[in-house]
Amino acid sequence: MRILTLIFPLLTALAVLMISTSQSVWQMDLAVFGFENITVGLKATALSNFFAVLVAFSLFAVSLVSGKQTLSKSFYFLLYLLTWSLLLIVYSSDYLLFFVGWEVMSISTYLLLSYTLSREALVKYVVFAMASAMSLLAAIMILYTGAHSFMYVDAHQAYLALSDTLAVIFVVLMFFAFFVKIGVIGFHYWLVDAYTESHDFFTPYLSAVVSKMAVYALIILLLTVIDISTFSNSWISYTLAIFGLLSSLIATFKAVNENSMKRVLAYSSIAQLGYIVTVLSFADGVSGALYHSLIHTLVKLLLFINVAGIIYVTSKSKFSELGGLIYRMPQSFVMLLIGIIVLAGMPPLGGFASKYLIYNTLLENGNLLILAAMMFASAAAFLYIYKLIYGIYLGQPTSKKLESVKEVPFFFLIPQYIISVILVVLGTVPGILTPYLNTILTELKLQALPFTSVAVLNTETGSYNGLVVISAFALIFIVILFVLLSLKSKVREAKDRFDIAYCGEVPNEATHLHYGFSMGKELKRVGFIGTILKNSSRVFYDFISKQLFAFATVFRKIYSGNLSVNFNIAALFVLALLWWSLK
Amino acid sequence: MIVFDLLGMFLSAYMVGFLYYGLYRNITARFQRRIGPTVLQSFYDSIKFFSKEESISHGWMFYLGPVIMATGAVMTLFFIPFFYKSESFSGLSQYGNLFVVLYLMMLGPLGNAMGVGVTGNPFAAMGITRGLTRLFAMELPFYIAVIALMSINHSADIATIAANQPTMNAIEYPLLFIAAMFSFVAMMGQSPFDVVGAPVEVYSGPAAEFSGKFLALLMSQSSIMSFAKLVLMVNLFIGGAEGFLELLGKTFVLFLFVIAFGAMYGRFKTPQSVDFLVKVPTAIAVVGLVLATLGGQ
Repeated sequence: MRILTLIFPLLTALAVLMISTSQSVWQMDLAVFGFENITVGLKATALSNFFAVLVAFSLFAVSLVSGKQTLSKSFYFLLYLLTWSLLLIVYSSDYLLFFVGWEVMSISTYLLLSYTLSREALVKYVVFAMASAMSLLAAIMILYTGAHSFMYVDAHQAYLALSDTLAVIFVVLMFFAFFVKIGVIGFHYWLVDAYTESHDFFTPYLSAVVSKMAVYALIILLLTVIDISTFSNSWISYTLAIFGLLSSLIATFKAVNENSMKRVLAYSSIAQLGYIVTVLSFADGVSGALYHSLIHTLVKLLLFINVAGIIYVTSKSKFSELGGLIYRMPQSFVMLLIGIIVLAGMPPLGGFASKYLIYNTLLENGNLLILAAMMFASAAAFLYIYKLIYGIYLGQPTSKKLESVKEVPFFFLIPQYIISVILVVLGTVPGILTPYLNTILTELKLQALPFTSVAVLNTETGSYNGLVVISAFALIFIVILFVLLSLKSKVREAKDRFDIAYCGEVPNEATHLHYGFSMGKELKRVGFIGTILKNSSRVFYDFISKQLFAFATVFRKIYSGNLSVNFNIAALFVLALLWWSLK
Repeated sequence: MIVFDLLGMFLSAYMVGFLYYGLYRNITARFQRRIGPTVLQSFYDSIKFFSKEESISHGWMFYLGPVIMATGAVMTLFFIPFFYKSESFSGLSQYGNLFVVLYLMMLGPLGNAMGVGVTGNPFAAMGITRGLTRLFAMELPFYIAVIALMSINHSADIATIAANQPTMNAIEYPLLFIAAMFSFVAMMGQSPFDVVGAPVEVYSGPAAEFSGKFLALLMSQSSIMSFAKLVLMVNLFIGGAEGFLELLGKTFVLFLFVIAFGAMYGRFKTPQSVDFLVKVPTAIAVVGLVLATLGGQ
């Protein structure tokens, strides 16, 4: 079983590798099937290869974990179907195939979620996913009226041919479709529950790549259809900046208040994708957006797999039930530590590179207040990041059972090790991606990033040398550690976990010593944070659903389900149709 | 040789840092009508702590916490050039700009938070939470001020910003300076924003479990970090420095102001300090930023 589950991911990786090196193009005229003037096609561009590699890698990483699990065959089939639909999305060169991919993605995700989700969460997902798909379909149809073609190459002409009102409606519908998939705040109502309740082996995949498809679609929309370089400082870029910023800020504070590990990570996904949405409001933000997509994919795979491991060995998923696992699971702890350093965007590792690109883009474009707010959100994120590691690994164990826990099985650790190595390498040589990003940028007719060496990440306002930073860090660290260890003074290990400075008292089993789950709760006393935490988009959606029910009640009065009434309605309808057609 | 350069930076920061720390204790005592310890008392204390016979440990992460914190402080120091004109004492600043420094400043506290967390002392973790809560609030006005400076100078390079000051930035952009000073008081851990350790009031704070050589290491890094922050502030707002005397003079004036401010005011509660920092200094900074960027065009 173990080997079998790896075959498909390997084949997918191989296929992506072959497609991405071949520069292949495939086109078909649907006239064969009786649809005149409709062409569909697949094309391997540098941009689509980038996302295809993310998909293939994520599938591989997830499959490494899921090896020993008793997952049904249909689960794997659906996972592979989902992967294929993702590849169809990134490789399609027209909106028709793109939509097909989008629909298959939504439905296969629905089926995969249906294994574990509660009814409410599932209904939320399916309503939002279908709303997203329908809004996408409507937008595509509007665009089709412009140039009578679905191809991306004609899309800009089609967009320009639209009347002003139609163009606005088109953009709004597209934004709605993608914002729902990304989970931009306000459109995220389905996301947190779906991430939390989905199967532990599916959540990494969901967060790592399924949400990235909307980022890919957004890039296509902004740069090939709308051409944001000519429309910058329009309402389009302001909408993106404001929604992205709100996502980052609100989701960050929401995350602090959660007690479940996966909920914190779900909100963190929203916040991190908020950075991407914000930076996409500028044409030259694409480099930062792509870099951050890569980092976010890797780090969320790492963190969700880590958390899946914790749930696997302890069968607990809340901070209030965990704690003090560090010396029982040291390898998992180090992996999570690497993950959170990257998530925080701290310098020696890869996370800083993408933050650096994003900040510099915002600085160069003179959006100073947005930049300040982004950095503020990123500093506030330390709270939930610390809560994540403290609640699981640090502090005190909250139950006897936790004191006899063993390290997670090795198959959980393999993908984490692979991803950690990649993240460290990206921190050391952050410029290694620059040439590749430049091919994407030139393909999208954007200005390329300056490139000097792989160790240096260059932007117009300055550069940063990852190799120097990480080696200086390592050297100073080693010197200080050596000095500390070589000091003559003795060190006594604490007797047991109650051997702490505790206000002169001696704590015992009954004392509540784990501070993890209440961490950050006191934040609601701060005025503006309290406002954020008190309010929820639930109020809005409850209002909508109430109105719909009221409407349905009125409608039900007429369409009562009584057969004779129904027959009369049908007869009247047919009569009306006849009258209208004969007129 | 870069190694000697770095060593020089480290030693000068270490000595000046401890000197300032001693002065801080002495001057605060005078404010409170006490005589206070001698200037070198803190240095003696750290030597004593380093040679303590026994200290308690909570496993390997407990060791790494203070080490990461000290590494963060030394890294921050190395990425801030002391003088804007000369090549010497510029450390590693050519390899990273202000964004790198802003993040390196937070590396230490985050690293130490791991060491604190592993002790399992809830009061220490409480101190960390207070620290992280104050952190994002105090960074906001500072970020806005710094971003305004970066935008005015079209560069995120510290030496460039330091050199490009016909009159001091503090005089040219007073609102930005005032806003940044509020943050700076908080960064130096002074009242009314000293909520992290909350000395003499509650039995908690990140240092609760550290003793002996660990405490000595934390004390040393705090002195180095204070000096690094002072140098950064001088570079950004007070015209930078050309020689050691100028640097010492300017940092000392800044330092004196900060401790005088700290001695004057009582402590905020944590939510109060967050509320204050995101309102008053942030508003000042935003107005300052708007005025500064409009003036530039």
